[in-house]
Formats: sequence, structure tokens, C-alpha cells
Amino acid sequence: MEEELSSPEYLVRGKGMYVDDIRLPNMLHMAVLRSPYPRAKILSVKGGLNGNELKGGVESVGEGATASASETEEPIFGTTSVNYAGQPVAAVFADDLYKAQDLLESVEVDYEPLKPVMGIEEALSMPPIYSSLQTNIMSDKWRGKEFELENAPVVLEDRFFNRRVATNPIEPRGLVASSDGSKLTIWISTQSAHSIKEGIVGSLRLKPENVRVIQADTGGGFGLKGGMYTEYLIAAYAAMKYKRPVKWIETRREHMMASRPGRGVVGKMKLFADRAGKVLGVKGEVIVEGGAFSGGMGEFASNFIAMQVTGPYQIENAHVRAMSVFTNKVPMGPYRGAGRPEAAFFMERMMDLLADDLKMDPAELRLRNATTGPFKSPTGLEFEASKPFMEKALREMDYASKSKAGNAGLACFVLVPAYQPGESCRIVVKDKKIRVWLGGNSHGQAHDVFAKKLISEELGVDVKDIEFERGDTDMLEDGVGAWGSRTAIVGGAAIVSVARKIKDQIEKEFGKYSPELLLSNQFDVYNFEKQKGSMNSLGANLATVELDSLGSVSVKEIDFYYDIGRPLNMDAVRGQIIGGAIQGMGQTLSEEIAYSQDGQLLTASIADAGVQTAEHIPRFDIRLADSRSVLPHGAKGLGEAPTIGVPSALVRAIERVSGKRVRETPVKAEMLLGLVK
Amino acid sequence: MGTTRVEIEVNGEAKSAEVESRMLLVHFLRDVAGLTGTHIGCDSTNCGACTVLLDGKAVKSCTVLAAQASGRKITTVEGLSANGKLHPVQKAFLDKHGLQCGFCTPGMIMSTVWLLSFNPKPTEQEIRRYISGNLCRCTGYQDIIESVKRASDSMTGGR
Repeated sequence: MEEELSSPEYLVRGKGMYVDDIRLPNMLHMAVLRSPYPRAKILSVKGGLNGNELKGGVESVGEGATASASETEEPIFGTTSVNYAGQPVAAVFADDLYKAQDLLESVEVDYEPLKPVMGIEEALSMPPIYSSLQTNIMSDKWRGKEFELENAPVVLEDRFFNRRVATNPIEPRGLVASSDGSKLTIWISTQSAHSIKEGIVGSLRLKPENVRVIQADTGGGFGLKGGMYTEYLIAAYAAMKYKRPVKWIETRREHMMASRPGRGVVGKMKLFADRAGKVLGVKGEVIVEGGAFSGGMGEFASNFIAMQVTGPYQIENAHVRAMSVFTNKVPMGPYRGAGRPEAAFFMERMMDLLADDLKMDPAELRLRNATTGPFKSPTGLEFEASKPFMEKALREMDYASKSKAGNAGLACFVLVPAYQPGESCRIVVKDKKIRVWLGGNSHGQAHDVFAKKLISEELGVDVKDIEFERGDTDMLEDGVGAWGSRTAIVGGAAIVSVARKIKDQIEKEFGKYSPELLLSNQFDVYNFEKQKGSMNSLGANLATVELDSLGSVSVKEIDFYYDIGRPLNMDAVRGQIIGGAIQGMGQTLSEEIAYSQDGQLLTASIADAGVQTAEHIPRFDIRLADSRSVLPHGAKGLGEAPTIGVPSALVRAIERVSGKRVRETPVKAEMLLGLVK
Repeated sequence: MGTTRVEIEVNGEAKSAEVESRMLLVHFLRDVAGLTGTHIGCDSTNCGACTVLLDGKAVKSCTVLAAQASGRKITTVEGLSANGKLHPVQKAFLDKHGLQCGFCTPGMIMSTVWLLSFNPKPTEQEIRRYISGNLCRCTGYQDIIESVKRASDSMTGGR
């Protein structure tokens, strides 16, 4: 394998500039007072900066953003009511963090606790949290068309649940805000400087030209750091009010209670098939626990999951209800996969159930329902021929021999990257140096390596002459963000488009192109490379496990066969696949954000939340399809693929070794106690 | 709040200050000594991003008071490279793609330096065990384990 230096040396020297490393003169530290109750009336708040002064709501921006109605929109501070344990009620500021923590005790809040709504079923049966609504339903839509197949030879029903999972990047959220009286500058750990700017400008009613957002080194995101959060608005407002820089760094405990988690979705599925294993139709109900407020992923996810629920199969009839509901928990947010893993879980579980019912091999059943050409399902999921892909995947992963031992599970899926609306890039050439800015902000994926590689390929320059810059809204006029498996695709296409514009400019001016002409002149070219349609791709996983008498699952091996188009950097590809697989393994075996029935958080530390350690990771066998996308640089999506395929493959393997039907994640040891065959 | 005079040798340099008695070592290193390579990832001794060496042994500096470290020697990630040259463990993490976002990396590197200081040729199982107190959310650990093996090889001449 080609050696590529994809990790900047300064990070191993401890010279990173993460947001908590930024120190400005006269800086204030902010601490946030949070509601201890999941649901309460607030009779009064005294002390600190609170909602009596800073009114208004949090505008939804970034991945899965949706506009929101007033009463159910997240307020900056809970002022007359709070709707989840951890909701900000006031903020205090001091010269150091210790003093700020002490000051929290100076705030007095008078609460009148109310009975909370703590789960999806409760949300559907209990009186509405919001008096302006008749129910706790946040959104309710249908995808596909009604059909009648009740007399089909095989009719199977089941209900599934993926519990909530925290994103848990090792660097928590944080920002530094500073105002010089006219311009507000924000340094922040983020996946999208432009989304943060949009959220600050919109929520605080500022002029766009008066706000600059700069990305600090970002210690992981996984969906968490693309959107707006109330703490960002409080810090920004305080910096303008006190005319001093303000820093806020989330504690891990705050992350567990107030950072938006992913998953938390129920799927009720009904499958209609013939005796030969051909799926004739799918009916379903996807119910997302949206949490306390509307707007954003909680509202968006149900419809997105319902669209994908038909999987990589030729299913001609589908009718799926997509609901999101309010509960008294922190709102749902995007977490790596963001609806894609849930859709795959629901469909792949049903395919395994059908295979068992018909006593068919699960791979044979999947092949029987795969397509020989491009297909668009009734719910709207588009993909290329899945049959040849699956046939190749089964060979590459050596399904035939590995499935014999009775401890392997297979999953097939479609990855739907966030392809639209495209992405931006700016390249500046000056003083023999090439500087590049990209709309989606790298937070560990080594975007710098593929950016330099593509520019080097297009313009014939040495990668040493290229500098990859962090996100900065003053240096790049527009941009989307790094999420949804998109940046290698749309960011890559944007880079190539700008490089080609520069090349054209040189050819027009000088009659020819050479790297010397490029470096000895000055250029400043920006382009937002728009994308329409979709760039979906196929993937498959095979997992093998062992079970002991205490119910403990050890994962022995995970095999991958993915179509990622042209791999731009093999080190990063392998890192994305293995890192994502361990997150998928975490969701399946150990990770959960859990509450007591009265609404108190039970998983208050990163250990309680079940993040996997190095101790029990399996073997990995990674195979990639020989493929290119239609884009000039050939890339397709990758980042979320392992979090989609691995949980579905793993639960099937667990089902095989335990003999117990698996309907939920995480599958904890106590559920498998004494089931070893 | 009471204060305490602490004197800590950090990366071979004496650092002394009058600090609040409750100050954690990690805040002393970051805020008083200005060494921000030691990171804070959790408040509960779980993630290991704040790992440093205290008299040569790995500790999580979010769970040690600055006062407890007074009179003792601390090594942080910034203290590993001599004359700008990377320590073999740092180089191995670069060469084997042992980091993605880089936030857990200083702690991982310090735990590795400690492990190799008393066990220069650890087995894969020992490596996994000794870095299991350091969480990484990006890499899935495989390339970190490969980095530790590479560092072990280069520090023992592959013997």
C-alpha cells in the first residue's frame, strides 16, 4: 500500500489548537445552570444571565435542518418551563472556570415539577407536553402508496428499537466568542463554520457581515458539531454584552445530558412475500423520539428513514408511516449514519426473519430480491443493480465457508450520502504557494490529504506547495458542511472544478498551461459546485461472533465489501471503515443513553454510555469494489457505511449463536445469559 | 478558597505557583504551565486524554491535584521530543496512521511511552490492555495498536 502522510505532525507533538487551547486576554469562562427536572414549570429565575434578558429561540441549521413553530422551538433559555433534564436555565461568567462553577450556586430557580413523557409509547398515549397541540406528535407523514396483500402466502410482522446513543467525540463541544464592538468572532469546534454562522446570525438577529466563524482544530464530530446549540448563542451574546471574550467548554456530563444524541427510533414492520422468498410488499411505521423540541434531525429523521426502509431490494409495493414524537428528553440530533442505520436495521431484520420462516439461506433470500438494473423503490430509494454487487460481496467476504459455522450474520444496504446541494471551494495562488479552503470542515477524516492529492493531479504541482486551511467564513463566502458521507464526493468535486477553472484561465491567458506559470502568477478562484440527484452506493458486511455462558458476546471478525468509488487515500479509508465499525459494534453491544422512568439520566459518564475500548476489537477484512463515480475524481461516499452495515450483521450473528430473536440495540449480556448453545 | 504553593518539575523545568488548593494537575499544566497538549475529554477518569507521566508512571491528570504533584516530576507530550526530533512513539503514530482527529493522541502516546518503558516488547493483548484506559472515537484502535507495535520495534531495533 502506498505510504501517505495523513496525520499532521503538530498533533503528535501536542501542538494542536483545539478551541479549549485558545486563550484571549481578559477572557471570561462560562458555566451553564441546567434544569434538574425533565419537565417543570419555572415560577422564577433570579441571578446569572437568564431568559428574562436573553429571549428568543435556537434556529435550526446544518444537517437535517427544518423550520420550527414557535411554542415547540428550542428557546435559548428555559424561562417559563423546562422540557428536559439538562436544559439551560441560566449562565454565569467568571475569570476562571473554578469561579464560574462556584457562581452557579448564586442562581435561584423556583421549579414546579410536572410528570414527564419519557418514551415513544408514552408519547403516543399521554396528554400533550405542549398545550397548543392536541397530541405529542411532532410530524406525521407517509411514503409510498397504499396496497392490499393481506392474502399473500407469507405475512410477517415485528417491532424493532434502536435505543439512543451519544455521539461522544473525545473533544466535547466548545467555543470562544469575542466582539470588538462591531464584529463578533467565534472560534469553534465544528463540522461547518458556515452553519454556525447562519445559526448565530439568524437566532441573534445579527448582520451576516458582522459575524465571522473560524474553525479550531476539531476533535471529532460524528454529527454532533454541525448544528446550532443554545450554549453557542449564550456565549456569543455574553461576549457582546460584557465586551470581553467568552469561552465555554462542555463537560462530559453536560455532553451526556444536553448534546443531541442519535438513534432512538422504533420500527414496526410488516412484510408480504411468496413461498419462494420474493418480497411482494412492505408496510411499516417509523417512530422517531424527537425529544423536547421540534426543528432539526428529530423532525427530519422519520421521513428520511421511511424513504430508505426498502433497502437494496426490488420491492414493488411499500407504504410507510413516518412519525416523530415529543418526549421530555434532549432533542435528537444527527449521529454518524443519522437514520440510515435504523432503516437498514428494520429491513435486514425482516429479511432474516423471512429467511428463517422459509428455512432459506439469508444470502440466497437477499439475492432473490436483488435487482439486475437500477431501481427506485416506492418510498423513493434509488440504487444501481444490487444483484451483481451482492454476488461479488458474498465471494469477496467468503460467505459460503464463513456462514457454515453458524455464528455469522450478513447485512446488505444502500448508503445515501448528503449529496445535494454540493459544496464550495476557494483556491488562492500567491507567492508560489497554493492555499485551499473547503466548505465542509475536516474533523479527523484527513480531508487535507485528498484535497492536496486532487490539486496535485489536476495542476501538476507538488503537494508540499499546497496549504489546506481550516474553515473560516471570512475566507470562503459560502459552504455546506462535513457530514452525511459527503465531503470526498462533493468537496472533491468542488476542488477539481476550481483547479480546472484556474487551468482554463492560464490556458486562455498564456496559450498553454504549466505548473511554473501557475506558481509564478496570482489567482483567487471560488466556486460552489452544485450537485443534483443522488450518489447512492451499495455495501455489505459479514460479522462472526462467539457467545459465552455469561451472555458476553465477543466479535471475532468483521468483513466489508463496499463500493466507495475511487478511494482517494487508503489510510483514511481504512481508518474510516474500522472506526465506524467500532461505533457500530458499540451501538450493538454496549452504547446507550438511558433514563430512569422519572426522567433522570442514568448514563452520566462516557464509560456508562458504553463507548468501546481497545480491549475487544475484532479482526477486519476490508474489500472495495472496483468502481468510479461519474464525477471527475471518481469518489463515492464512505463515512457512515460501517455504522449502517455492522449493527445489522452483528445482531444476526448474535441471533445465530444465541437462538434468540434480536429486536433491539444494544444487545446487553443480561439479555443473552445462559443462551450459549 | 485556600491556596497552596506548588513546585512541579514539568518536562525538566521547575514550575512553581501559588494555586487554589483544589486545582487539578491538568489545569496546572494547561493554564499555569501553558502546555495545552494535555487534553480534557471527560470529568470522570474514563477517557485518558489527560494522561501524563508522574515520576515516570502514567496518571490521568484530571484526577490528580496539582498539590499532590508538588515536588515530583511530570512529563507531558511536549516533553517527549528532544531538540525538535520526534520521539519514536510520536513517529510511529504518524507513520502508522494512529490518529485521526488527534484529540486523544497525546494521552495515547503517553500511555504507550509508559507501557514501553517497562515492557519494551508487549504482546498485542498487552498493548490492548494497557491502552484500554484511553478512549478513541475515530480510529477503532487498530491503527493505534499497529503504531504501538511499530514504536516497540523501532525502540528495540526490531529484536
